[in-house]
Amino acid sequence: MTADDSVLVRCPSCGESAAPRARFCENCGTALGPVADDPSLPSEVTLDVAPTVLDLDPPTGEAGRRRCAACGGLIADDGYCADCGTPGQSERDHFEERPAAWVAGVCDRGIRHARNEDAMALAASSTFAALVVCDGVSSAPDSDVASLAASRAARDVLVAYGPEGSSSVAGATSRRIAGWTDAMVAASRAAGQAVRGAAEQLAATKGTNVADDPPSCTFVAAVVDRDLIVAGWLGDSRVYWLPDAGPAEQLSVDDSWAQEMIAAGVPRAQAETSPQAHAITRWLGPDAADTDARCAATVPSGPGWLLVCSDGLWNYCSDAHEMGELVRRFAGCGEPHAAAAALVRWANAQGGRDNITAALARIAPTVTEQR
Amino acid sequence: MAEFSAEVFQNEFLSDGGTDVHAIVSVTCAGAGAAGAVGVTAGASATTDAVGAGQVAEIVAVDTSGSMQGRNMEAAKHAAAVAVDQIPDGTLFAIIGGSHVATRIFPYPNARVPMVAMEPGARNEAKRAISTMSASGGTAISTWLRLADDLFATVPAAQKHLILLTDGKNESEPSMHLDRMIADVTGHFQCDARGVGDRWVVEELRKISTALLGTVDLIARPEDIAEDFAALVRKSMARGVASVDLRVWAPQGSQVLFVKQVAPEVDDLTGRRTEVNPLTSGYPTGAWADETRDYHVAVRVAAKPVGSEQLAARVQVAVGGEVQASGLVKAKWSDDSTLTARISPEVAHYTGQAELASAIQEGLAAKAAGDEATATVKLGRAVQLAAETGNDEATSRLRKIVDVENEEEGTVRLKRNTAKLDEMALDTASTKTTRVRRA
Repeated sequence: MTADDSVLVRCPSCGESAAPRARFCENCGTALGPVADDPSLPSEVTLDVAPTVLDLDPPTGEAGRRRCAACGGLIADDGYCADCGTPGQSERDHFEERPAAWVAGVCDRGIRHARNEDAMALAASSTFAALVVCDGVSSAPDSDVASLAASRAARDVLVAYGPEGSSSVAGATSRRIAGWTDAMVAASRAAGQAVRGAAEQLAATKGTNVADDPPSCTFVAAVVDRDLIVAGWLGDSRVYWLPDAGPAEQLSVDDSWAQEMIAAGVPRAQAETSPQAHAITRWLGPDAADTDARCAATVPSGPGWLLVCSDGLWNYCSDAHEMGELVRRFAGCGEPHAAAAALVRWANAQGGRDNITAALARIAPTVTEQR
Repeated sequence: MAEFSAEVFQNEFLSDGGTDVHAIVSVTCAGAGAAGAVGVTAGASATTDAVGAGQVAEIVAVDTSGSMQGRNMEAAKHAAAVAVDQIPDGTLFAIIGGSHVATRIFPYPNARVPMVAMEPGARNEAKRAISTMSASGGTAISTWLRLADDLFATVPAAQKHLILLTDGKNESEPSMHLDRMIADVTGHFQCDARGVGDRWVVEELRKISTALLGTVDLIARPEDIAEDFAALVRKSMARGVASVDLRVWAPQGSQVLFVKQVAPEVDDLTGRRTEVNPLTSGYPTGAWADETRDYHVAVRVAAKPVGSEQLAARVQVAVGGEVQASGLVKAKWSDDSTLTARISPEVAHYTGQAELASAIQEGLAAKAAGDEATATVKLGRAVQLAAETGNDEATSRLRKIVDVENEEEGTVRLKRNTAKLDEMALDTASTKTTRVRRA
């Protein structure tokens, strides 16, 4: 995908957001290419999957015994795998969602952390998907509760704006970009509210003050609405658009100390490995002043993978191009569930130093059909 | 109803790349009841694992070779009679006289039943039979074991126990015969072996008692045989749970390095492994009374990344194929050296005690072979370990064999003209361990 053959609302060279019709990047001056009029845009996208009902809940414990995440053996009554001895994981420590054949995600505790403070909530139908990932801040207690509440609240808001929702975003691409930007802000606010609600409930249960050490989390979401991808975020969880052909790109821009350093000219590798790299500058929580997601949109011109992930994955593969290579390596079959599971396994094999969440949507638009 | 419990002592933290997991698993049996007891406690008769009446068989095999002539023979006859007094009514029993051949003393050789249930009449007849025993001939212990095995095979008892007494070397047959016979009867019955005087060979009897899940001991004075036999019968009768297996599950791809009983005595079970399923090995431990036995289990697992947790072993107690208790041995990889550097005091203690046993045995063997240099080093190490692990009994026995120069450093000199009995006492007691002192 190049600036010439699609509508880009993010600068390909510096990542700065740009208005949908902007010709140059306001930040670095890069030409954003001629913007075609709406009628010429691919407006009808056929996704190569069968229609699927929305599955808003993660799969709960199957009847009977749990299976070992490492080897597939049965988890014995003592909580460990009967074959390989790996501790059985709780539903919260490891869960997977697959709301449609083209959308799936895996959320995993990783190796080093005692709890899984990442959370994920997915929804999808045949032409619509909402993928939400929240990463609990591990320095604050109960961030696992906060992140799960946040991700589910945000997903529900996004579903409400979807084609089967009560306030569907509709219209031409530019109108839908505006509509989804509003939806994304509504979703992040709802997520922030959910975190505050969870924090107050927890504080009431424990008899503590909400203001002391409040739980908090990041927020990142991506919506696929036919031909359009819209990303929204607070913090350093990410959305990548990884086309099969053409340059991979990170749609989100971290709200982090590292990103500020990168913006100031420090090399990415150096900024991301510094001790403060993971200090985030925006988040959701009772102590967060601003919970409006920043947004970016893109219209893919060809097939590819949409990846929404937490830093437990991208820490091992930050660069968009390398992430594209990695996903392609694991996604040979074109099946997002297996690919997401493989990405999580890979991150665990790199050391699993943080909770890991990888949610994927396989985008296979056919641009031949015109409205 | 017998209840088993298992407690695990270990440092579960491994450093990065660590693979070997060591743990002491302490297994306790409570409420075992009595072997062959009838309604001793309410509900005892309803339990399936307690040994019921008529399910216990006891045989006493007494050396009647020519060397026993005199004080030993009279003492042994007295002891066998005392043992008969201790065997409760209802217990199936027999008396064997052993020389280069084995003879059934009671039931009389012409009796139609090979073993009879104890009752007052049988007790009196048995004592009369014992009194007729006389010493002559050589010593071929394999024939005694063969006869005991044949007699036990005729009864359906769940729990079979042999007391074997000798005063001499197994000199009337090649040692291969005895080895083969031990292998043949292993698993059929348990055997406590006793040597009286100083002309028997500790290693010979240890071979028997180890394979047959019993003990070996020295009876220095003939007049002590009776009390020892009485104690052995009482101990045997207190074992209310007939046949207990220790099971060790280890994960796919791992290796069980060893399984050792470390208390009350050191007994390496590793070689007695039977397969329960591809991941689980079983080790027979014989009958249990109300008691605690400690096991040292070592498993080698594949190293996992720092932060990972892994179950390294499930150590289970199974009675009649049913798991009664389970202890979990874990591995957690950490880069925190304050966690990984710690050695479990229980593992350290029993590692020392097991090394103490082999240091004593190797030291005495070297001394017997005239290799004084090796004997001095090994027994010196034994003195050091006995002090470190607080095994005062071993320390006092060692001091009869060596002059200690420096206990901490384990420097000793071999004593001249030590009593053979003192060496044998040290040897037979070498496997006895002291329990770790719990804070």
